[in-house]
Amino acid sequence: MAAHVVMDRSGDTRHTFDSNDRAEIALAEKRFMELTGAGFTAAVRLGAGECRVIKSFDPTAEETLFYPRLVGG
Amino acid sequence: MFGVRSVLWPDLSRVRAIRALFIRHGAESTPEGRSLLLLQKCLSPLQREQLGKKGYFEVLGSDTKTRFRIHAGASVNVCEVDERGRRQDGLCFMPIGALPIGDVMLAQKIALETCESEARAVARRFKPNGFYFRQTRPLG
Repeated sequence: MAAHVVMDRSGDTRHTFDSNDRAEIALAEKRFMELTGAGFTAAVRLGAGECRVIKSFDPTAEETLFYPRLVGG
Repeated sequence: MFGVRSVLWPDLSRVRAIRALFIRHGAESTPEGRSLLLLQKCLSPLQREQLGKKGYFEVLGSDTKTRFRIHAGASVNVCEVDERGRRQDGLCFMPIGALPIGDVMLAQKIALETCESEARAVARRFKPNGFYFRQTRPLG
């Protein structure tokens, strides 16, 4: 199962989907578009502490992290 | 006899495992705990060790290869360090939405390691002093 992990006030909200199921992939892509459209950054976790920022939906990514827009403090 | 003994004195590894389970359950039940677990999962082994021992971890900026130190905290907790490990300018930036500390630190790590210039563009710069980076300072 693949997962979208969205950072939020609860810590994170995890949405899992089957990357072999077209309907679930479509839902996951919709979520990706909504979140990135709202200013979230998406990053695929590569393991060993590394991440790669992605601009378009990757259905093969095992775990994608989303964090909200950055602002100065 | 050994059966009674094992019931009364379960082996130490089992006790440790049960204790770890309780701690994990406690951590997972709060936003801060959940965010810190996620952060731990996303750090490299070296960064995890630094955070445990020193209260901060270091990352390399994706564009300038500058070394940054991310201290435990949700604001005024990032600073550049020079080649000798001395603090240079501080950068204050965070994701919007009052996220728990672990999430803030993870977002800062990903931003600096993958799109440093974007993080720099929004960050407010400050001159760090000892207070900002004391391990015992109030987090936030």
